[in-house]
Parts: sequence; C-alpha cells; structure tokens
Amino acid sequence: MADAVFLALTVITIGSAIAALELRSLIYGSIALMGTLGGVAGFFFLLDAPFVALFQLAVYVGSIAVLILFTVMLVKRELIFKKIEDKRRKFAGIGLMLVTMVALGAVFLDSGIKTITTDEPATDFRDIGTDFVMYYWPALILMGLILAGSVTGALVLAKREDVENDQRAN
Amino acid sequence: MSVIAPNFKLSEFIKSLLDNAFWGLLLLVLVGVPAVFMILFFIEMPVINGELLTPFLALTWLADPSRILPVVHAFMATDIFRVMAFPGFGFAALLAAATIFVERKMLAKLQLRVGPFYCGKFEGILQLMGDGLKLISKEIIIPAKADKPIFWAAPVLFVAAAASFVAFIPVAPGWVVADVDLGLLGVFAVIGFFPIITILSAWSANSKFPFIGGIRALFQMVSFEIPLILSLLGVVMLTGSLNLSEIAASQSSFPWIVFLPIGAIVFFITMLAELERIPFDLPEAESEIVAGWLTELSGMMYGLVQLGTYLKLYAFAGLFVVLFLGGWNGPMVVPPFPAEILTDGIVMGPVTAKIPGLPLFTQEMLNGALWFVLKTVAVIFFILLPRGVFPRIRIDMLLNLGWTKLIGLAFVNIFIALGLLYAGVLGPGGLQ
Repeated sequence: MADAVFLALTVITIGSAIAALELRSLIYGSIALMGTLGGVAGFFFLLDAPFVALFQLAVYVGSIAVLILFTVMLVKRELIFKKIEDKRRKFAGIGLMLVTMVALGAVFLDSGIKTITTDEPATDFRDIGTDFVMYYWPALILMGLILAGSVTGALVLAKREDVENDQRAN
Repeated sequence: MSVIAPNFKLSEFIKSLLDNAFWGLLLLVLVGVPAVFMILFFIEMPVINGELLTPFLALTWLADPSRILPVVHAFMATDIFRVMAFPGFGFAALLAAATIFVERKMLAKLQLRVGPFYCGKFEGILQLMGDGLKLISKEIIIPAKADKPIFWAAPVLFVAAAASFVAFIPVAPGWVVADVDLGLLGVFAVIGFFPIITILSAWSANSKFPFIGGIRALFQMVSFEIPLILSLLGVVMLTGSLNLSEIAASQSSFPWIVFLPIGAIVFFITMLAELERIPFDLPEAESEIVAGWLTELSGMMYGLVQLGTYLKLYAFAGLFVVLFLGGWNGPMVVPPFPAEILTDGIVMGPVTAKIPGLPLFTQEMLNGALWFVLKTVAVIFFILLPRGVFPRIRIDMLLNLGWTKLIGLAFVNIFIALGLLYAGVLGPGGLQ
C-alpha cells in the first residue's frame, strides 16, 4: 500500500517538476510547481511527519507558489524571452536530469541505507519543540531575531507614507 | 398582488397538483405494478429462513423498525454518513442555504425593503429553491478566449476546498469528519488554497474585471492570512494542542474569549476579510467592477462558487465557535431519552411497539450539536450584520489595517496568553 502511494507520489513529483521546467505556458508551469511542492508534502506524510507536511502545504503551496503565480501573471513573457524551440536539446536535458537522478539514487541505495531498520516510533513534534527550547536555544533565538527583523521590515515597508495623493481624503 | 404571475390562483394550483397525483397513481397501478410483477416472474427469488422472499415479505421487513433501526445505526457509524450527511457536507450545506435566505431577508428588513416576497406565498420562503432551479437550468457560457481547463476546474476546486475546510470542524463530542491531531494546521493549509483558486479562476476568464477582482482578492487574502494565524496562536498556547476537538473540550468551564478577547476580535475581522464580506468585499465590489472575480461565471458554475462561499462562511463561524466560544460545551438542556420507551416500548392504545435500537443519538451528542448550532448561528448573524451597516473601504486602508494594526494586536494577544500561562492563571495549577 505504502509502496503504491510512494510510487504515485514519485511520479507526481518528478512529472510535475519536469512539466514546471518545460511547459511553454508560465501559468501551467507554476501550477505544475505547486504539484511538485504538494508531492513533497505527501512524502513528509509518508515519513510520519504530518507537522512538516502541513507546513509545507501552508507555506510552499499556499504562499510561495501564490507569489510565483502572481508574479508570472503580471509578466508579458514575449517581451522578455526569445523563443528557442529545439526539441532535441529539450529531450536531451530531460534525459540528462533523469540519468543524474537515477545515478544518485543508485549511489544512495548502494550505500547500505536499505539495511537500516528501526522500530522506534515516529518523533512527536512536541519533542522537537522541547529540544529547541532546551538544547538548541541559540538557534531558536537567532531564528526569532531574523523573523522579528523581517516582520519589522515588512511593517516599515507597509507604513511608508512618501506617496501622497491630494485627491484622496484620509 | 403578484405581478410576476398575475393569473395565479391557489385553488387551480392545488387542483393541478391533485390531477398530477391522480394520473401518477393511475399509471402506477395500470402499468408500473404489472411491469414489476412481470419482471419478478422471471427472477428466481431467494429463500430466507425457510420463507420465499416475495415482494410482500420484503416490504414487510422494510417497514419493521426493529429490523431497520440496526441498519440505520450501522450506517450512521460509517464514514460515508459523516462525510455526506451529519457533521460534513449535508449539514453544512443546509446551514449555508438557510444563511443565504436569512441574509437576503434580514438585509432587506435592515434597509426597510421587502426582500424576497413572491416565491412560495409566504415571505418568499421558496426563493432559494427558485434561485437554485434557475442556476441549474441556465446555460454555462465560457468566454471565447478563456483558458478552458482552469476555468472549468476553478468552481469545483473552490467547493472542494470549502468542503475540506468543513471536514475539520467538530460539531459534537466525537462527531467530526477528520479528527486529526494537527487539525488547526490543516485548517491553515486549506485556507491557503483559496487565494490560488481565486486568482487562477480570475486569470483564466481572460477578462478585465475578473482579473482586477482576482488581484484584489489575492492581496486581501494573503495579507490577512498572517494576522489570522497569529491571532489563533494564543489559543494554541493555552490549550497545548492543535486538535480542534481537544481545543473545544478544553473550554468546559470558560470559553477562551473570556481570556483572549483581543485575539477573538482580530480573528473576527480577518474572518470578514477572508470571506470577502462587507466592509471588505473589494474582490466582488459590484458597484465598481461588475461582480469582481465572479463576473464571467454563469449558470451552475456561479452556483457552485456561491455554495462554496457560504460553506466557507459556515466553516469560519464554526471555527470561531470551536476556538473562542467553547464549541459544543453548554448546560444540558436536552431531556434524557424516556426510559419507559426502552423498557415497555411505545404504547398506542391497544398496540404496543417494542423497538430495540433506540435511541439513535445520545443525549450528549444532541445537546452538543444544539449548542454548537446556536453559537454558530449567532456568529453567522454577526458576520451578516455589517453588510447592512458599513460601506466598502478602500484597498489601501484595508492593507494598512491588515499589515500594521491587526498584526500588532495579534502579537499583543500572544503576549497576553503567555502572561496568563506564566502567571499561573491558566494551565497546570491554574483555573483550567
């Protein structure tokens, strides 16, 4: 059962990654990118990490893909890119990528990772949180400072009032 | 008098109904029943408990409550029932339909209008059914230069996303479609899909007004998602859980709105913005950009988007109830199931019917569902109310509100929650 789901997720992820790179329509390309990111979220579900999976969905599919989609919609691609249609180069590129991935996969499988078996239960996200507060607190504080800085920056950007319009009454 | 149907007479309407019933019955007796028996003549019926299963015997069994009730019980325990009927789609769609009618009628009364009046003879009570029939029977027009696959898929995806949002809402103890450990995170993930569907639908119509509306919807939803998530973190900190059922059960003595009123207010305002309701209905501003991102949708595609919108409204109101108003918790007002029916059966004169399998629902479940529905209806009322009162605000004021004021208030709410937790008012050793 899990193997079938894993295979389906693999096909979805790799297929939509290829589509995201190769499709001529930028909108469909970014939809395919959403498929790739959703497939990765599916892998996290299979690995018993629903916390990471749901954050992957909420952040990557919900926010970053929207950002890309929105940017792409406002771009007239004819003005930026010159079309170079070359079927052979395209398929050579896809083939090269697949060969590289298969080679990397073979290296991983050969490294003895399949012989590791474990009966330990999946790590609870609460334990990860406790670890963050107990042992990795400098990293946590650093992340907190970076996030606070970015939020403050966003607030400052949102609050700028250098653009004045006399026709508007506040 | 009705202007729409000037020649309408109630007596003739009843006569036509009776006529139809008469002809239907006549056809059934003269054609339908003989046809069924002719078919049965060629089918070999099974023998059950030494009795030949004739149609009469089958009907007798079907009418016997002691045989049917266990089947109903077993069906109610299945996932299909939960998804389709009670805490899931059917229940939510019923509440959504009631919301549409109440909204139109209440808005009319607020603005000293009449509202739906002619359909159904009494206060336009059948208006919704009429609108539904109209939408189903109308032609679906696709703009010539639209991107067809996305344009077709968007309304369906919208309803699907709204229905999956509904699936997370617990209605009564144990009555929830998806009782997942990380329910609130799932809700955030589902809310993140709405702007994608909106902007894709708007772009694929290949028309100005939908695109302007879609961009407005995207700005509004993405910028209000952040205060929405931040305003709910206080509840998560106090509860120590992301499971919506556990959050609802944790409020048995106090609802969280008592301790976190700022979070509740911020969540309510972001809820109005996510639902595109007045005063934040810029994406469908009908006096500026026709109907916003819904302009090119017609027929049942528009109907599906409306259904999705009102399902989303119910789900947001239910989420507010679960997180801040105590969910299903409330004083026990439903009377217990009469015990003499269980022991003696139902006595009707000389006949006594003993029915095993009753009661169908426990007292706790009925009480919980009652309180949940009452609170949800109250929240929906407060969501509808601004529509009769406020004007639409400008997009820069909206974004300013979302990015500066609401995020700041959400952080204040988080610090209040932390203070309550560390001061020992709540949490271990505290009130709850």
